[in-house]
Amino acid sequence: MNHTLSILLQNEAGALVRVAGLFAARGYNIDTLTVGPTHDPSVSRLVLTVQCDEAGLGRIMQQTRKLVDVLQVAHPAAALAA
Amino acid sequence: MTTSSPPASAAVAVAHPSHIAVPASGAEAIVQVLADEGVEVIFGYSGGAILPVYDAVFRHNALHPREDGGESMPLVVPANEQGAGFMAAGYARASGKVGVAIVTSGPGATNMVTPVRDSMADSIPLVVICGQVGTASIGSDAFQEAPVSNIMGACAKHVFLVTDAAQLEATVRTAFTLARSGRPGPVVVDVPKDVQNAAIDWHGSGELLLGGYRSRLRTVEQASLSDTDCAAFFAALAQARRPLIYAGGGVIAAEASTALRDFVDAFGLPVTTTLMGLGAFDTADPRALHMLGMHGTAYANYAVEDCDFVLALGARFDDRVAGVPDRFAPGAKFIAQIDIDPAEIGKVKRVDWHHVGPLTRALERLTAYGRAHAIAPQLSAWHAHVAGLKRTHAMDYDRASALIQPYAVIEALNRHTQGRAIISTGVGQHQMWAAQYFDFRAPRHWLTSGSMGTMGFGLPAAIGAQFAHPGKLVIDIDGDASIRMNIGELETVTTYGLPLKVVVLNNSGDGMVRQWQRLYFKGRFAGSDKSLHKKDFVLAAQADGFAWARRLDQPAALEATVADFLAFAGPAFLEVVIDPDAGVYPMVGPGASYAQMITGDFIASRKAAAVDEGATSHMF
Repeated sequence: MNHTLSILLQNEAGALVRVAGLFAARGYNIDTLTVGPTHDPSVSRLVLTVQCDEAGLGRIMQQTRKLVDVLQVAHPAAALAA
Repeated sequence: MTTSSPPASAAVAVAHPSHIAVPASGAEAIVQVLADEGVEVIFGYSGGAILPVYDAVFRHNALHPREDGGESMPLVVPANEQGAGFMAAGYARASGKVGVAIVTSGPGATNMVTPVRDSMADSIPLVVICGQVGTASIGSDAFQEAPVSNIMGACAKHVFLVTDAAQLEATVRTAFTLARSGRPGPVVVDVPKDVQNAAIDWHGSGELLLGGYRSRLRTVEQASLSDTDCAAFFAALAQARRPLIYAGGGVIAAEASTALRDFVDAFGLPVTTTLMGLGAFDTADPRALHMLGMHGTAYANYAVEDCDFVLALGARFDDRVAGVPDRFAPGAKFIAQIDIDPAEIGKVKRVDWHHVGPLTRALERLTAYGRAHAIAPQLSAWHAHVAGLKRTHAMDYDRASALIQPYAVIEALNRHTQGRAIISTGVGQHQMWAAQYFDFRAPRHWLTSGSMGTMGFGLPAAIGAQFAHPGKLVIDIDGDASIRMNIGELETVTTYGLPLKVVVLNNSGDGMVRQWQRLYFKGRFAGSDKSLHKKDFVLAAQADGFAWARRLDQPAALEATVADFLAFAGPAFLEVVIDPDAGVYPMVGPGASYAQMITGDFIASRKAAAVDEGATSHMF
C-alpha cells in the first residue's frame, strides 16, 4: 500500500542521496519526493511516498532513523489513525 | 597525483616545524586529532592525494618519539589498501579500540570499500581517512578521482566529504565518536588535497552537532530497565522449563561478557553463541553450547529446537542462524531480546519482550533484580538434558582416515593454545572448522568476517591483531583459496618482524563451494577446483622471508610439526595438505530448519537416535 513519510534531515550535501539510496538498496521505488527548507536553515524536510507493506514500512523507517543526518522520521497517516 | 596546493598554507606548514605541536594545516590537524584519540598505529598506503597527511604523520613521529625511541604512531604499509583496511579491522576486533586506516584517492579509496562494508556488517569501529582530489577538480574525472562519498555512503556508518578546512578538526574528532558509539561501525572522512594543505586555526576540542544522531544515542544510552520490565522478564522466565541464551557479537562489542557470566551464574541459563559471539561466553564452561546455526554444533541446534524460552543478546537472527525464521526455536513460548540498535528489535523474528540499551547495564540490572527477589530457576532437568545433548551429539570426524583431517589439525593447535590464542580466519570450510574445534575462553580472541564473509580477511586481520597485542600468540587459520586473495600481505608479516603464525589448510580449491556443488549441483565443480594450480605455498612464504615454512602431508607428523611450528619465535608458515573431500558438518541447509540438519557420518543425528533408542554411543 501507499505510504507517505515525512523526514527531517540536516541540510547538507549528500544527505538526500543517503535517504534515497537506502530506499533504493532495499528495492523500494520512491513514487514522489519533495524537499524543502524549514524555519531552521540547517534542517530540510523531505516528504516522500512509497509502496510497501506494513512490515517493510516499519523496517525502512527504523533503518532511516539510523542515518546520521536524519533528525526525525514520521508516518503522519499512522500518527493520525492512532 | 599532483594538485595545485595553496602556497601560503604549505609555507606555514614548512616554515614553523617546531610549532607542529599546534597544528597549522589541515593535514596536521588530522594527525593531531589521531594522536589525541590515542591512536597507536595507522594502517595505510600513500599516494598523491594523501601526501600532505603522510608527511604530517612522518613529522609527528619525528617530534614525538615514544620513551623507548619507537614511533608514537607508526605507519604500517600493506601490499594493497584492502590489506590496510582489514589490518585496521583486525586491530579493532582484537583490542576493542577504533582501527585507523589512511589511503589515497581513487583506487586507494575503492580498494578500501570491502573492509569498510565488512566492518559495517560486523559492527567494527574504524576511522578511514581518504585523500581526495582538490575541491576545484572534484567532478572533473581528475586523475585518481572516485566518488568516494557516494560509494562509501552506501556501505559505511557515515561518510564526510570535508570541503571546508575550518570543519576538518571537528569532523575527524566526530568520526571517532560516531565509530565507537551506539552500534559501532566504520566512518569515512574524504579530504580533498587542498583542504589538507589549507591553513587552519586549531581549537583542540569541539565536535560537529549531529543533533539527530546524538539525541537518539542519548535515548539509547540512558535507557534502563524499570522494575516492571524486570518483573515481566522474570515472570516469563519463571514459566520456562528450558530457557536458553542466544548471544551474538553485540556481547563482545559491548564488553558485556563478565555481566553475561554473572547473569548465567545467577540463573543458570545455558548459552549458545553465534559465529560473531564466540568468546562472549567461555566455550569450556559446562553451560556453554558453543556455536549455533548453519554449521553450529548439533547439540546447540538441538537445544534451540528443544528450548521454550530464548534470550537474544546482541544477536540479530540472521539467515545463517534463523534461515527459516518461523521455524527457529519452534518451541519457544517467549523470546526476549536486548540490543543497542532499535532497528534490530523484531526485524526477523517477533519478540515478546525487548530492551534497547547498553547490554552490560541491562544484564547487571536483571541480575541484581533477580537476586534481590531471590529468583532461582530450577533447571536441573534442563541442564541434564543439555549435558546429554553434548554427549550424544558431540563433534566428531573420521579419526581412522589415511588423509590428514582438518579437524585434527585444529584440535592439535587447540591442545597447545587452550583457547588463549588470537585466531583469525579467511572464509569457507576452514573458517567453520576453526569456529567449531577451537576453544574460546575470552572475548576478542576470534577474528572472522562473519556477515560479509570476505575471503582474504584472515592474514591482514591477524597482522592488525598482532599490532594490538605484540606479546600474544596470533594464528591465522586460512584456506588455500582465501589466502591467495591477500597473499601479498605475507611480506608485510616479515617486513614488520611479526611473530604471527599462518596455517593454510590446503584442499586444492574452494572447499565450501565444492561442498554446496556436491549437495545442490550434482558435483559439477564449476570454478572451484584448483588441483591443477601451480602455486607452491612454502616457496611463496620463503620468498617473502619466512624462515620457518613447511608443508605437512603425513598424518603421523601432525603433532610434532604443530609443536615445532608454534614454538618458533618468529613468523612461521605451515601448509597442511588435508583430505580434499572433508566436509563441514553439521549443516543446516539453506531453507531448512534445525530439525532437518545433516550431521554427516560421524556426528550422531537425532533422527538416527530416534529410530534406534536402545543403541549405545558406539553405534556410529
